[in-house]
Amino acid sequence: WTLDNWSQNPVIDRILRVDHAGEFGANRIYAGQMAVLGRSSVGPLIQQMWNQEKDHLKKFNELMVAYRVRPTVLLPFWNVAGFVLGAGSALLGKKGAMACTVAVEESISEHYNNQIRTLIEEDPEKYKELLQVIKQFRDDEQEHHDIGLEHDAEAAPAYSVLKTAIQLGCKVAIFLSERI
Amino acid sequence: MAAAGGLRSAGWRLWRGRAVRCQQYPPLRALQASAALRRASDEHRKEPLGSSTQQHFDSPPDGHQPEQKPQGPHPSYTGQGGQESEDYESEEQLQHRILTAALEFVPEHGWTAEAIAEGAKTLGLSVAAAGLFHSDGSELILHFVSECNTKLSELLRKEQKLVQLGEAEKKPLDEFLRDAVEARLRMLIPYIEKWPQALSVLLLPRNIPSSLNLLTSMIDDIWHYAGDQSTDFNWYTRRAVLTGIYNTTELVMMQDSSPGFEDTWRFLENRVADAMTMSNTASQVQSTGEAVVQGLMGAAVTIKNLAGLNQRR
Repeated sequence: WTLDNWSQNPVIDRILRVDHAGEFGANRIYAGQMAVLGRSSVGPLIQQMWNQEKDHLKKFNELMVAYRVRPTVLLPFWNVAGFVLGAGSALLGKKGAMACTVAVEESISEHYNNQIRTLIEEDPEKYKELLQVIKQFRDDEQEHHDIGLEHDAEAAPAYSVLKTAIQLGCKVAIFLSERI
Repeated sequence: MAAAGGLRSAGWRLWRGRAVRCQQYPPLRALQASAALRRASDEHRKEPLGSSTQQHFDSPPDGHQPEQKPQGPHPSYTGQGGQESEDYESEEQLQHRILTAALEFVPEHGWTAEAIAEGAKTLGLSVAAAGLFHSDGSELILHFVSECNTKLSELLRKEQKLVQLGEAEKKPLDEFLRDAVEARLRMLIPYIEKWPQALSVLLLPRNIPSSLNLLTSMIDDIWHYAGDQSTDFNWYTRRAVLTGIYNTTELVMMQDSSPGFEDTWRFLENRVADAMTMSNTASQVQSTGEAVVQGLMGAAVTIKNLAGLNQRR
């Protein structure tokens, strides 16, 4: 069920709405991390990952317009929440920021994989372009995840608690953004 | 016989070619997934095949076709060939025809069962056909609104095509919105006397989901053709503003007795101009806000520098 029952293609509708919200949130998370750690040694690394997320967001903006999808009404909320999460995790130190990255990117990768499965089950031919985009992005996010691990994410304070909490938050965000 | 076989296999091949296109048929009326609705769409798609005899030959292969769309089983194509003729009409199509015919009688009888009964009579049906519908005329009104929205979409699409072909100028935003809303409201003119009654029926709790759906999809359509490409909260703001403009103008139109509804169109023009001003003001406020924030950030950095806190970690 979604807010708009007139949508021509409910499958694409949900997928694009939640992906757009996700990339938007990821952007804000990296922005928050940069605000705190921008001038530290991991600054350039975070900036690089942030730039890739910006590209992702741009692509989804285009797809949203092409498919006439309604963006989630929770965008202003994700705007603030993402920044707070990024800044908050960065305040725990570089490892804290990396832990946050690992948690989020892992959630997103899993989420993209689910979508790829759904689209392939529906109609791989029809959704070829979209599948290509999502696969590419999933690989990018997986790369970010690995970078996070390389930079001692697991050594962050209360790593497992942090990771679980963040991933739970991601699940809630995905659930809500698909519908509202 | 060979020719028939040839036709059948040709139809079968064409049908399979259409298999992929099947799923792209927009399920706008997905609310009622009747088999015959699909049959109507099947006939729609088969039209390019030309003669009606080919349509008959297409039915048997259809029965063997694997499920194309998630709209339920094929009750009619059970391989019983000629028992269901292609002329058979679904209840949905019949209701559609009755309601369309009934619209002619609305100015006289209002949005009532009488109008529907009269409409049924012109189609050669018994007046009892009005019993298919609610007595408050809900379906008739919703049908009318839906038809108007479809007409508006068509109009906007044609205009867009003209602009794309370079045969028309692209209108500035306020003019576009004004013209679109005016075009849509003008469709009410033949029924204007009875429209207040229709509005109150549309507000019945039972009808609100449908009427809201129709309203929001119409507004979304207008913004889409106006070239709205927002993917942030603006998406909502713009639609909310236009909905407000549309609703208030509609109400003004109910009370308007000026020649050619010129008061209404002037009201519309003013509201759209207000909205444009509001959005300009909003962006000015935002720029000012951003400038202020930047000033504060600059001050904060200065203070940090002075206090010696701004060092590389």
